[in-house]
Amino acid sequence: MATLADSFLADLEELSDNEADSLNEDNGDAEQMEEDVDGDLADIEALNYDDLDSVSKLQKTQRYNDIMQKVEDALEKGSDISNQSIVLEDDPEYQLIVDCNALSVDIENEIVIIHNFIRDKYRLKFPELESLVHHPIDYARVVKKIGNEMDLTLVDLEGLLPSAIIMVISVTASTTSGKPLPDEVLQKTIDACDRALTLDSAKKKVLDFVESRMGYIAPNVSAIVGTAVAAKLMGTAGGLSALARMPACNVQLLGAKRKTLAGFSTANSQIHVGYLEQTEIFQSTPPTLRKRACRLLAAKSTLAARIDSIKGDSTGKVGRSLRDEILKKIEKWQEPPPAKQPKPLPVPDSEPKKKRGGRRLRKTKERYALTDMRKLANRMAFGVPEESSLGDGLGEGYGMLGQAGSGKLRVSAGPSKLSAKVAKKFKEKQYGSSGATSGLTSSLAFTPVQGIELSNPQALANQLGSGTQSTYFSETGTFSKIKRT
Amino acid sequence: MSLSCMHIMDEVLASVAETIKNFAVMYLVDITEVPDFNTMYELYDPSTIMFFFRNKHIMIDLGTGNNNKINWAMKDKQEFIDIVETVYRGARKGRGLVIAPKDYSTKYRY
Repeated sequence: MATLADSFLADLEELSDNEADSLNEDNGDAEQMEEDVDGDLADIEALNYDDLDSVSKLQKTQRYNDIMQKVEDALEKGSDISNQSIVLEDDPEYQLIVDCNALSVDIENEIVIIHNFIRDKYRLKFPELESLVHHPIDYARVVKKIGNEMDLTLVDLEGLLPSAIIMVISVTASTTSGKPLPDEVLQKTIDACDRALTLDSAKKKVLDFVESRMGYIAPNVSAIVGTAVAAKLMGTAGGLSALARMPACNVQLLGAKRKTLAGFSTANSQIHVGYLEQTEIFQSTPPTLRKRACRLLAAKSTLAARIDSIKGDSTGKVGRSLRDEILKKIEKWQEPPPAKQPKPLPVPDSEPKKKRGGRRLRKTKERYALTDMRKLANRMAFGVPEESSLGDGLGEGYGMLGQAGSGKLRVSAGPSKLSAKVAKKFKEKQYGSSGATSGLTSSLAFTPVQGIELSNPQALANQLGSGTQSTYFSETGTFSKIKRT
Repeated sequence: MSLSCMHIMDEVLASVAETIKNFAVMYLVDITEVPDFNTMYELYDPSTIMFFFRNKHIMIDLGTGNNNKINWAMKDKQEFIDIVETVYRGARKGRGLVIAPKDYSTKYRY
C-alpha cells in the first residue's frame, strides 16, 4: 500500500529528525489526514501531514495581513518626519514598527516550519540536498528549480548558489538514492516553496520599512552601525527594548551563521560575528583586529540601544560620539609600538644585591656549613702538639679532634646535611662491595703501564647491580643504563 | 696608521659614551692643541686612555707592563665597558690599582 509504505518511510524519518517532530506535532495535531488508515502508528500520524495549511498558518492570519497592508502603504507614502512633537509611544507609526519587529520574528519561525515541511517531502526525491544547502530560502529556490527532474545537467542553478555548491549538488544528484515524487506531492512541495518565498519577500519588505524609519526609532544605534544593520539587529532581537536588554555578547552574535558544509574550508568563516560583520566600521578594519573591533562595536551599540530604548537622546549625538570613540580606538590599536631606546647601564654596585632568606636558603646553606668536627680540628690546645694525617706535622692537622682532655668522649660525624645523592655516592665509595667476596681475591693488580694498580673488582658489578635485583628502590641504585666509555 | 688607530678608538668611545654615562664621563683632549701634560703623562702614542677618579689617577694592571694607561686602540666595546666598570668599582673602594678582567700581555692591537 502506498500509505503503508509512506508510514514506514515516515517512521524512518522520525528516528533521524526529532526536531521537526516537536514543531509539527504542535501544528499538525489538530487536523489529521483522513488518508492515514494505520492506527498502530498513531504517533507517526502527526508527521504524515499532506496539507501545507495545517503546518503554516501565518499567512492566513488577520494580523499578518493587516501589518503587511500598513507596511506597504507606509512604504509608498515615503518617510514622514512630522512626528517629532508627538510622544513616540503614541505615534501609530512607532506601534507599527514594534508590530513589524514581532512579525519578522514570527515570519522567521514560519519559514523554518515550512522549510521542514519541504524537506520532509523532498527527502524522497533528493535526500542529500538538505545537508548541502542549509539556508531555508536557498533550499526552497533550489527545490523549485529542480522540481521532479532526475538529471541535474538539465537544471540551471546559476545565480541561486555559489558554483562550488552547484558542482557538489550535481555530483551528488548523479548518485542519489531518491526517486521522482508523485504529482500531488510534488505540487504540494512547490506550493510550500512558493509560500516560503513569499514570506521571505514579505520579511524583506518589513525590514526595508523598519530601516527607513530607523533614523527616528534608534538614531544612536543607526549612527554607529548604520540603518540597515540596525534594522536587522532590531528585527532579530524582537524590538528595541529586547535589543536593549540583551548583553553585548549576544548582540555580537545576532545573525551569526552557524553551519559550514562538511568538507568545505573553514578558513574564511568568521566565528562569532553576526550582522555586525556588515557594518562599515567592521569592513574597514584590518583582519587581525576584526575580533576586537567586533566586540567593541557590539558593546557600544548595546549602549546606544539602551539609550534609544528610553529615548534619552533623540538627536543621535551620543551615537555619533560613540562612533568617533570606536574609530579612534581602532586607530590607536594600529599604531606601531614606541621605538626602543638604548638604556644606559646602571651605576655598578649602586643596587644592593637582592638577598634571599627563608627555610630553603637555610637548608642549602647548611650543606656547606662548618661542622663541629671541623671546628674542633681548626682549634688547637696550647702547648700540645696536634696529631696529623701523615704524622709528624705533615698532612692535615687534627687539632682538638680526638685529644685526650677535650671533654668529649667521641666526636661523631653528625647527621650529614649533604644532599641525599651525594651521601649515597659517598657511602658507595666507602663501603664498595655489598656482596661477599672470596678470600682469595686481591684488590691489587699488576699493570704494565702503571705498575701496581689498586682496583675495586666489585665496582662495575655494583654499578650495574645483579640482574635479578631491582635497583629502583635500592639506596645505592642509580640509572640502570650506564655508558661504558 | 696612527690615524686609523685613532679613528677606531674614537668610534668605540663615541658609541660607548651614552651607555656608561651614569658612572663615567669622557673627555677628549687633542695633545697637539694642549701639549701641557705631554711630558707629565708621557703622551706620545696615537691614542691614550687614562682614568681619573676624584682627581686621583687610577692604575690598571693590563698585563702590558704599563699600568698607567691604555695606549692602543681597543676594538671591542664590551671589553672597554668592562674595564671602565672595574676601574669604577675599585676606585670607589679606594684602590689605586685595579686588575683588568682581560689580560693584554701579548695582544697589543692596533
